[in-house]
Amino acid sequence: MSDPFSINGGSAVAMVGKDCIAIASDLRLGNQSLGVSNNFEKIFGFGDKCFLGLTGLATDVLTLKETFRFKTNLYKLREERSIEPETLANLVSSTLYERRFGPYFVSPIVAGLGHKDNKPFICGFDSIGCIDFAKDFIVSGTASDQLYGMCESLYEPDLEPEQLFETISQALLNAVDRDALSGWGAVVYIVTKDKVVKRVLKTRQD
Amino acid sequence: MQTTVASEYSNEIHSVPIEHRFNPYSDNGGTVLGIAGEDFAVLAGDTRQVEGYSIQSRYEPKIFDVGDNIVMTANGFAADGVALIDKFRQQLKWYKFDNFGGKLEIKSAARYIQHLLYGKRFFPYYVSTLIAGLDEEGKGAVYSYDPVGSYEREQCRAGGAAASLIMPFLDNQVNFKNQFIPGTDGKEKKPLKYLTLEEVIELVRDAFSSATERHIYVGDGLEIKIVTKDGVRTEYYPLKRD
Amino acid sequence: MNTISQRFTHANTNDVANEINTVHDSLSHKQTLELAPSISVPPISQPTDFLRAHTDDASNPDCKIKIAHGTTTLAFRFQGGIIVAVDSRATAGNWIASQTVNKVIRINPFLLGTMAGGAADCQYWETWLGTQCRLHELREKERISVAAASKILSNLVYEYKGMGLSMGTMVCGHTKKEGPAIYYVDSDGTRLKGDLFCVGSGQTFAYGVLDSEYKWDLTVEEALYLGKRSILAATHRDAYSGGSINLYHINEQGWTYHGNHNVGDVFWDIRDQEQSFVNVDG
Repeated sequence: MSDPFSINGGSAVAMVGKDCIAIASDLRLGNQSLGVSNNFEKIFGFGDKCFLGLTGLATDVLTLKETFRFKTNLYKLREERSIEPETLANLVSSTLYERRFGPYFVSPIVAGLGHKDNKPFICGFDSIGCIDFAKDFIVSGTASDQLYGMCESLYEPDLEPEQLFETISQALLNAVDRDALSGWGAVVYIVTKDKVVKRVLKTRQD
Repeated sequence: MQTTVASEYSNEIHSVPIEHRFNPYSDNGGTVLGIAGEDFAVLAGDTRQVEGYSIQSRYEPKIFDVGDNIVMTANGFAADGVALIDKFRQQLKWYKFDNFGGKLEIKSAARYIQHLLYGKRFFPYYVSTLIAGLDEEGKGAVYSYDPVGSYEREQCRAGGAAASLIMPFLDNQVNFKNQFIPGTDGKEKKPLKYLTLEEVIELVRDAFSSATERHIYVGDGLEIKIVTKDGVRTEYYPLKRD
Repeated sequence: MNTISQRFTHANTNDVANEINTVHDSLSHKQTLELAPSISVPPISQPTDFLRAHTDDASNPDCKIKIAHGTTTLAFRFQGGIIVAVDSRATAGNWIASQTVNKVIRINPFLLGTMAGGAADCQYWETWLGTQCRLHELREKERISVAAASKILSNLVYEYKGMGLSMGTMVCGHTKKEGPAIYYVDSDGTRLKGDLFCVGSGQTFAYGVLDSEYKWDLTVEEALYLGKRSILAATHRDAYSGGSINLYHINEQGWTYHGNHNVGDVFWDIRDQEQSFVNVDG
């Protein structure tokens, strides 16, 4: 298959809990059927409590990661504060739309807490920057169908951080186990108002 | 019109304009799900039937009691599904005439359906087929097929439009995949056990209401056929109609 | 036994059989189980093009009918007989349709067939091969040779050449006159006798491990482990292989099953034990 979105494979998911959010991704990078790396994180932090997940074509994932690092650093220098998740979402949107007729082959997701009010925020995008604001969860990547099924059935609102970790982990793990191009390890970030916890999950290696 | 008449001369076949874009298939959506318990088995399906973006019917059942305590569904292209089930039903009738009314065991039914499907290997039925019933020991059994007849007995299986949404959920909740005993640091798996009928019905309802939320081809109603040693029973639950 | 074998040996010269057949033909319904299966084709001039347009996912990714593909299987001959090892994953595109497929078909207590390619093609024709082998046994009062069994299959697929069958299989067995023997048969009509084969999307990964560790003098235990280890390597690197590993050993007593090994568990056991797979942490 020559669909750029599914050459390298990979999936990501974000969820809202009670005064917290979680964002998770698998670690696989492949070349079609061949697994190449089991250490390819798709979640990137910008500021303390703001995260961007990028799935799709790996070259675009890396390019955009650097683009947003550059842009958020300049933002921080000018504004003397870290970028808010809502602002990052709009930055992602406009950056993607600049390539309206030759898009980056990615499906980004943003998750974070507001820096002052600690309000949970998540959203997703299509490859040309249309924002999907969601109150519960956002999925992306080659296992997105499976993730929709898992999240829709496991998710409940107002989970505490530990419960949210369990829910997002089960959703991701069982989804990627039904996708040939995702898996090979997983990583979960749990973001609460005073700390960010990163956990690496032990997963099947086939 | 000497169109579809096979010619002895192969070069003529290429020069004579024959049928253009012969496309006998369409997708009528819908999704189905089968779970086997210790002494029962269920087959569930939504009752929506679609063609493109239109809903043709909000109540068109696709799980059928085919006799001999076997329930069957063939989801995908509705015409092929109905044709397949009718063909199986008719053959089951002949089997009874030939065998003094003897019961067809589910494993024999399963093999026979493979032959029905493979018989159209080069012009396949566009369906994913499931049958459910009880095996010779009275244990619940679900058999699933691909469109051309490769089959396998399983504990649970989702088929049709939203199979990719439901199947990982079933792995997790029926076969306890990725579940471990708390405090064992992921060393000890949660032990497998047979679910009760009540638990299974709850799972089926959750699976379908979730699929209904995220898949446009799924919704309207949920019909479940339950096979026990006492026969086949049907339950209906409404689903969202949007 | 004799009456049964006679009936099948001279079916067309046997009066009783002829009469039964005539009666059967005159009945309104078709005989339910024919020995030579008939397969219907679409009512158009180029059925192969039709089939390719609707089922071949390589040339037509968004075709409607997805046929299960993807596999790693291997078999090799050694001092102690034959080892057969296979994975258990079935994929349709990137979707993992099943992790519990049985890719070894037990043709009889001395013959095994492996499955790679189209799941239905392999399953159907190898069970069919099983009945042909049994009929041979009844006719000849002797177990069929591996050479003959594999040739029945290769001749069959050759009849369907170009029609889109997809199978890569190894017919493995043990007979008195042949000893342990492996024949590779595929849907192109290829039929090869050999000591060592890997077949499927993960074959290269399996060959990598198998070739580097293989020796004729392996003990049975070592050989079983090597088979398992080779499939494990393939399930790790190949996205379309995985699930669990099924192991078989064949010797003059016939085949013995050596269990189903879940890759999810076996991987970590072997990694810890061998200190291998250093690219994976956890």
